[in-house]
Amino acid sequence: MAVPKGGNFGKILEIDLSTQKYKVRKLSDEECRKYIGGAGMGAYLLYNELKKGSDAYAENSPIYIGVGPLNGTYCVSTRASWVNKSPYTGLLSHAEVGGHFPNEIKWAGWDGIYITGKSKKPVFLYINDDKVTFYDATSLWGKDTDATERLVMERIKEPFARVACIGPGGENKVGYACVMVERFRAAARTSTGALMGDKKLKAIAVRGTKAVPVVDNEAAYEAMVKAKQLAVDKEAWQGIKRWGTAGLLELKHHGTGSLITKNYQSTWWPDIHELGAEQANRVFWKRHVACAHCPVHCMKLGVIRGGDYDGLIAEGPEYETGGLLGSNLGLSDFDGMMACIEEADAQGLDGISVGGCLGFAMECVQRGVLTKADLDGIDLEWGNAEAALEMIRRIARQEGKGGKLLAKGVKQMAKEIGKGSEKWAVHVKGKEVAAHDPRGDKPRAFSYAMGSCGGDHHEGTSAATLARWGMINSLTMCSFVGGYPWGKETPKVFIDMLNPLCGWNMTDDEYWNTAKRIITLERCFQVREGVRRKDDRLPWRLMNEKLPEGPKKGAVFSEEDTKKMQDEVYTYFGWDDDGIPTDKTLKALGLDYCIKDMQAARKA
Amino acid sequence: MEKDDRKLGAVLGKETTRRGFLKSAGAVAGAAVAAGKVTGVRPAQAAQAAAPQEKPLMKYLFAERQNCTGCRACEYACTMYHEGVVRPALSRVHVIKYKGIVDVPVICHHCDDAPCIESCPTDPKAIQKDSKTGGIKLDPELCLGAKCLKCVDACPSEFVRVNPDNGFPIMCDLCDGDPQCVQACLLQSGNPQGPCLMAGTAGFGVNMAYRDVTPAEAGDDLIRNLFYPNEDGERR
Repeated sequence: MAVPKGGNFGKILEIDLSTQKYKVRKLSDEECRKYIGGAGMGAYLLYNELKKGSDAYAENSPIYIGVGPLNGTYCVSTRASWVNKSPYTGLLSHAEVGGHFPNEIKWAGWDGIYITGKSKKPVFLYINDDKVTFYDATSLWGKDTDATERLVMERIKEPFARVACIGPGGENKVGYACVMVERFRAAARTSTGALMGDKKLKAIAVRGTKAVPVVDNEAAYEAMVKAKQLAVDKEAWQGIKRWGTAGLLELKHHGTGSLITKNYQSTWWPDIHELGAEQANRVFWKRHVACAHCPVHCMKLGVIRGGDYDGLIAEGPEYETGGLLGSNLGLSDFDGMMACIEEADAQGLDGISVGGCLGFAMECVQRGVLTKADLDGIDLEWGNAEAALEMIRRIARQEGKGGKLLAKGVKQMAKEIGKGSEKWAVHVKGKEVAAHDPRGDKPRAFSYAMGSCGGDHHEGTSAATLARWGMINSLTMCSFVGGYPWGKETPKVFIDMLNPLCGWNMTDDEYWNTAKRIITLERCFQVREGVRRKDDRLPWRLMNEKLPEGPKKGAVFSEEDTKKMQDEVYTYFGWDDDGIPTDKTLKALGLDYCIKDMQAARKA
Repeated sequence: MEKDDRKLGAVLGKETTRRGFLKSAGAVAGAAVAAGKVTGVRPAQAAQAAAPQEKPLMKYLFAERQNCTGCRACEYACTMYHEGVVRPALSRVHVIKYKGIVDVPVICHHCDDAPCIESCPTDPKAIQKDSKTGGIKLDPELCLGAKCLKCVDACPSEFVRVNPDNGFPIMCDLCDGDPQCVQACLLQSGNPQGPCLMAGTAGFGVNMAYRDVTPAEAGDDLIRNLFYPNEDGERR
């Protein structure tokens, strides 16, 4: 078992919350090279740890926070991947999140943090290099993410530490609770917040003071400088620098015709100019904020000045939050939308799913299948920001009939409400989908329907890009640097950085094989949980209702489109007709340990 | 109630007096905004091998705090140049995330009166100002290290940090006249705000008042500056 020479430390920090003990798990260079890190390494660890149909809330059910070989080096814009079995969907899920938290993990000397067990009373962790301290978090329980982060920082007295924490949403195990990293960045879509709440883990603070070992410093540095220049030079990304992803709100509305509106009833919402980047720039934004070493700084921070929410500091709008908590709810009120976004952040709820649930409930009210009485008197009419805001608070605390209902998520809500509401329940594999309507933006359907975890928006737009994103999520690079702008340069730009950094001699073929291995392994996990071709599809509404207006009027994602998309992916990765990886593929990719499970799945 | 917690008074946590000398953006006119090229920064070994460049020596640093995006590219460039690896814990210039909202760049101002040198108890002084480049240099042979650290307390900007490996204070030598952090910052800054870090040959008219601000005070000022127009409708 060779020890990694560079890029990786070959060490994972294993923390058991039940016993409050921690130990080191060694990783070999072969494992690092085979699964890279981040999402790929998470899939590998979880596949072998968990059994078919295991309870996501079980004591041994882990949360893996993985970083990749590029983290903590001169490479720009690196992230961490939060991997766990989602109690919400029952599937393997991973969320990539930036900021400085990921690099602090690496500088503390770890390739990842693997948390199992359950604490009896609330705790938070402080990881300072090799040392892990367990703090009592009883006094933090019930606090929102903003207060939690500040109190944690006061307790540990280390100004350079970075904090990830959950809010009331996670504590109360709302299915779509997220982890807020450094206050405004969400590790969402994975239900990690609920899992942390179940483990009574309120927050994780990290501080590292080490350096990542590099095999050939000069060559690695040169490649990383080149890669950075690539990120700086790309003209399209100057827009993201200036306007953040909020700039896409107008673009996707007028251009692509894929801005979701009123729970996917339309993609046309002319009031978007009240919610988008122009308006934000005029009345709200004050700062650009960057993740580690990132020249793009897409995060925009602002303060509401005047009006009902005077003095509220919030982040956004981003494309997803602005879409789902803006046009999706039929809002035309910028301040109201920002208050909703900030409330979701503060309560530790996934802005996409909470927007999806609110939109769904609003449509139920519109069609008369849900009444004010069912929602404890809250008037969920289109465009009522105040009601949405109040509902977000109730969801996080699972308060009242309405709060409890919406906390269940769209799939379960449709089941309980019935009366045809299944038709406008927009979810993939049990998870609400993001703000790009795939009727207007067809390639996005790959990401929603074929992406490993379902409903996610950054998983690729074709079979080949699914593989590309498998790698990017494992290298834990940012989509806005390593994903879209470097797309055409893949894999050269990554190989040039990785080889001198890790002392490997990776070729293009090995790169793509690794990408396929990671996606296939994630697929094996999902297949073991029962995912088949029938699940790899968009919800009814997107496949049957034509877009009534907007630039893509009349568009629909047809049955043929679906079949074509599925076949393309299955063929590309070497999966069989039902989407189960074949024995041949698994052998070729070195995933022999999955063969038995896949054969069993085929018989079932 | 929690909404109120995120309002100005609660965020700042205390009544701080307004300091008139801390003007908002625009203190330095004519700063170059265009994005630069990723060059100049070299690992330590390579830098030594490269031929000396015919460039004016930069003797002062300045940080336009409002422009900082918190990317820490300056820390990357600093440690890459001085240590040959990326290791922000050893970086001279550093960025503090203050109350999770603003980023405060902390730099050595290379002050003319140099309180750190003043406070140094050894004879000859372990901390010296290079007369040619203006950089502050530490002589590890003379420095008393962890048992002294008077310079850490003396610095009015709370700039001086301690090396976790050997306990010596970390001093900024201005990369011998070509500060790498400034180049890194310029490159990151293809944004409407312009770069945060700047260097100059004759100083920026940095006065004692700007220097005598701790990172926490600077952070509070930055947060207060977010709230424009303020309660009275004025710009600060």
